Amino acid sequence: MPTLFAHGIEAGLPSGFEGRIFKRQGSGVEVANAVAQFSTFALPDDVGDFGGGAVTSMGNDDIFAVLFEYGPDSVGTRLFAHQGLPRTLSADDFKPYVLRRGLTGQSGTQWFFTESGRPFTLYAVLGSHARRSILVPRINRLLAGLTVEPAAVGTPAGAPWN
Amino acid sequence: MIALTVVLGVVVALVTVLVAGLLRSHADILKALHDLGAGVGDPVGDTTASSTPGPSAGPQSVPLTMGPALAADRDSTSAPTLAGVTPTGDALAVAPARGGALTLLAFLSTGCASCAGFWESFRRPEQLDLPVGTRLVVVTKGPEREIPGEVAALAAPGLSVLMSSDAWTDYEVPGSPFFVLVDGTSGRRVGEGVANQFRQVAELVRRAEVDAAAFTLGTRPGRDVGIDGPARESANDRELLDAGIRPGDPSLYPTSLDDLYGPPDARMPAAPHPMRRAG
Repeated sequence: MPTLFAHGIEAGLPSGFEGRIFKRQGSGVEVANAVAQFSTFALPDDVGDFGGGAVTSMGNDDIFAVLFEYGPDSVGTRLFAHQGLPRTLSADDFKPYVLRRGLTGQSGTQWFFTESGRPFTLYAVLGSHARRSILVPRINRLLAGLTVEPAAVGTPAGAPWN
Repeated sequence: MIALTVVLGVVVALVTVLVAGLLRSHADILKALHDLGAGVGDPVGDTTASSTPGPSAGPQSVPLTMGPALAADRDSTSAPTLAGVTPTGDALAVAPARGGALTLLAFLSTGCASCAGFWESFRRPEQLDLPVGTRLVVVTKGPEREIPGEVAALAAPGLSVLMSSDAWTDYEVPGSPFFVLVDGTSGRRVGEGVANQFRQVAELVRRAEVDAAAFTLGTRPGRDVGIDGPARESANDRELLDAGIRPGDPSLYPTSLDDLYGPPDARMPAAPHPMRRAG
């Protein structure tokens, strides 16, 4: 199983998945945090943090998922009160209207949480809502292989959520 | 005189012990080589010994691998996922066997002179002349073998660069530069090899694209590929009935070339079509 590790995030990729873990260049007072993207299709080189430029090329059997880290100032806020990365999603968690870009046939889910003292959101998209019972177990296998290390001491404060 | 004789005797004794030790060591080495199947002498002569069960039962065949695998030994079709890091320290995994598109993997290094032209070509992506939708990924060896800063200096902005020594092993890359083309539809490698200039590689990719298009001709919507399946069989039956050929007709069971083409003197350009003749 291929394994990715960068910026305190480790991902064991199930068969058929590819991915990247990166930080964008910060600008001004903005501090970039880790972004981990995973897909069962070829990720374009220039893709938005939440799949802009990628979800439009998804097929019915494709999956896109992103783990997006927020700044440490967000730790302890109500939005990130849930502790722990959701490891087991259900088909009912995916809704056609939970999409950052509404595309016919697709559905998505989004969760905010704190893992290892770091605030994240998990956003996942299914290529076909009708096939969610088949696709969701594949996402769960991906989530089972994700590990987040605690934030390094002295990490500069990033822009808080909101 | 007596002292000289004693010294000489001691020296001779020491030399004797030394020579005996060397001979013993040499014998041990020969025995070990023989056990590994690389001994001198006629191994056929030991067939009786090899039939004896036990740990010392004759020469053992030991696989010996030196250098890159031979062409016949390479797994030239699999396209495993490549995982590693980028020159900037991010993590990247590419699954070329998925997604339906063509992926061109360019195995390059920073030190090889013949790679320099490719690094330079990748700085002008608009001139690469690759088919639309083809993904280009440069693969170097991992940070333990390449200096990320040097790779970053050579890589054009926006170019996907993956540093992974495991990928070189998985794809059995014999050296750099080396190119592998993976078809995401079939999930297989469809081409690989070396090139001196990138236009040679681009030509390989274009040919692969044409081949892939021809291969998927029957599944492309809107293409007139003729009738198939039960409809084709019905059409054949209609043609035969129109020609007066019904089930059991002797022309359906030829026993010689004459049954197919008529007598030799009749096999002229003006000879009637055998099916029409039979009817």
